[in-house]
Amino acid sequence: MMEWKNTANVVIIGGGIIGVSTAYYLAQNGMKNIVLIEKGTICGGSTGRCGAGIRAQWGTEMNCRLGIAALDIFEQLDQELGMSVGLNQGGYLLVAYSEKELDTLRKGMELQNSLGIKSRQITLREAREICPGLAADDAVGFFFHGRDGHADPFLTTFAYLEAAKRLGVTCHRHTECTGILVDGGAVRGVETDRGIIHAPIVINCAGAYAQLIARMAGIEIPNWAERHEIMITEPVAPGVCPCMLMSFSGNYYIQQRPHGSIICGMSPAGHPEDYENKTTWQFIEEMSKTLIRLLPRTRGIRIARQWSGMYDMTPDAQPIIGETDVKNFYHSTGYSGHGFMLAPVAGKILAQHITGKKPDIDFSMLDYRRFARGEHIRESNVV
Amino acid sequence: MKTLSTEILVIGGGAAGLSAAAEAAAAGAKVLVAESDLHLGGQLVKQTHKFFGSKDEYAGTRGFKIADILLSEIDSCKENVEIHTNTTITGFYSEDGTFTAMRGEEKYFHIKAKKTIVATGAQERLIPFPNNDLPGVYGAGAVQTLMNVYGVVPGKRVLMVGAGNIGLIVSYQLMQAGVEVAAVVEAAPRVGGYWVHAAKIRRMGVPILLRHSIRKAVGDQVITGAYITALNDRFEPEGEETYVDCDVICIAVGLSPTTEILSQAGCKMMYVPQLCGLVARRDRTMKTSNPDFFTAGDASGIEEASAAMVEGRIAGLSAAADLGYPTEHGKLDEYWGRLQALRSGEAGARICQGLECVLVNRWEDVSDD
Repeated sequence: MMEWKNTANVVIIGGGIIGVSTAYYLAQNGMKNIVLIEKGTICGGSTGRCGAGIRAQWGTEMNCRLGIAALDIFEQLDQELGMSVGLNQGGYLLVAYSEKELDTLRKGMELQNSLGIKSRQITLREAREICPGLAADDAVGFFFHGRDGHADPFLTTFAYLEAAKRLGVTCHRHTECTGILVDGGAVRGVETDRGIIHAPIVINCAGAYAQLIARMAGIEIPNWAERHEIMITEPVAPGVCPCMLMSFSGNYYIQQRPHGSIICGMSPAGHPEDYENKTTWQFIEEMSKTLIRLLPRTRGIRIARQWSGMYDMTPDAQPIIGETDVKNFYHSTGYSGHGFMLAPVAGKILAQHITGKKPDIDFSMLDYRRFARGEHIRESNVV
Repeated sequence: MKTLSTEILVIGGGAAGLSAAAEAAAAGAKVLVAESDLHLGGQLVKQTHKFFGSKDEYAGTRGFKIADILLSEIDSCKENVEIHTNTTITGFYSEDGTFTAMRGEEKYFHIKAKKTIVATGAQERLIPFPNNDLPGVYGAGAVQTLMNVYGVVPGKRVLMVGAGNIGLIVSYQLMQAGVEVAAVVEAAPRVGGYWVHAAKIRRMGVPILLRHSIRKAVGDQVITGAYITALNDRFEPEGEETYVDCDVICIAVGLSPTTEILSQAGCKMMYVPQLCGLVARRDRTMKTSNPDFFTAGDASGIEEASAAMVEGRIAGLSAAADLGYPTEHGKLDEYWGRLQALRSGEAGARICQGLECVLVNRWEDVSDD
């Protein structure tokens, strides 16, 4: 157990990938006396339950910019953090099933290309070269970006945490935030179930719970929890799904882990909006049918486990990053199901901003007040 | 999707499950038994030794004979019992109370039940040491199944790890089958099993090395030997490692209750070392905090098969009674009396200590945490 001190320069709430990467980049930018608090265990929430995809094929300019910047970081993260994060760049293969979707994805590709992302439309034959055995005769088009892929969320989170600790960051697990101290319009620290920590800066990285933390400071953010389900098979020989196979209208994403297990997920109708990580038999039945239809040779592979996790949603499926009406109370949340892949850049730009440097990417448009102003643009490329 | 419906689903057709099924069916309830193995009987069918304990629980009878007795009891009310062997319950979904099940590798279906008795037994524990994934490293239960059910010996010369009852009995049965036992190593300073079993194998010249453990397995493709070492008071290796020539390493370091279904059903669980792991809290009727779920046998805490059978009877009786079937007055007390008798010894004292932690008098008094 790390030593408890009741003062800090920064308190970060949340031990998922966003909180941990933010802590690391703050320390790297010279911030001292950083304390991260986590109500459960590190990586025990949405991060440890996610589909682990990393991509730059997005439909909004901001997500594209964040996506490609995150890829740049991921590609050299092993060296930077001193341990493997399990990066696997087999590319993302996006499948369109209607002319309308094809059009949306093509516009996305043009946007991506204009921002230096080398995504391209490919034929069914090329798609089958990338993903042998793919049965998608009903598809009308395919898009591919070879630098996309997936990494290991546990390795990535712990690599960031260990590097942050080496830079002096303190991490308190099993420590729940119970209140935000506010005085004179500015944040003054946090109240936890283990005592108060006074701090001039507080960052809310609580994922799907961020709205509850914000409310402790009297702030309402349009952020909610959505339950999504996912499953993993027994390990099989590599090459069954070498890329991340994904369709927005087809409602699936499928990848094969380096040790051979296949991970796949889809969004059930209705998206229960609660904090229950419950699972359903309907999911495994529908997901299995989808998997066998797309990759017929997966028939007969055993399902090892299923679980669920929470997307921390916003109305435009883009994150909320920045300061709030309470001075020095920052948010980095609302990643809407793609927090893992954006975490490296999200942590970096917020840390740059807080330490008075110019952020690599101007994120002022991700201010949470955009929703009240009606300035948000809905991201289309999400499952 | 095919859905089977029943009044009482018994998961597991071993000592506890069969007893539960017999009791509930005798009371008039419709029972469905799901057993993942190809045949019923659970661990009983491989137990060729005579049972201890009480006459009520077939003391003096060999384990596989007891399975036959339970099966004939079930046969006498077979109109109430549906048996599904080769059928694994793969999950329980509390939102709509559906069980998913697999028959073999092909048939997938659903089961709905008014009451469920979880008699899923236990899983063998393994200990970590280098090369413990080489062919030739067995759980003691697996060795027993191989020899006593399928008539196959695992190898020529065995190092047994663990001197509890299973380690001792399996050592003896290995020798009965003509397999040499090089040694029994036991980390604790004393033999965990009954003296009579230990004495039997000592008389046959097998060393029982207390305060000893395995350090690593040796072999390229398969096991060809092992290094063992003495342990100090803190269970740390001490002194020289000794090489043991063997082609089988048999791990008999205990069992853990199989409780996933109970967790999925939202039953309040508790880690109880005396019961060997995570188990469901239960009342005197073996009912859990989920009023539709009962637990019995090793799934409710590792104990002798004799106790598992009585617990199964209690669970079967209570589930039937909850469904409104008339049951004999005083039977519950009689079964508890039998359990108390079985638990009167030294091992029983430990079990009773564990039960004190998990047993609930009134569910209303248990807090939601």
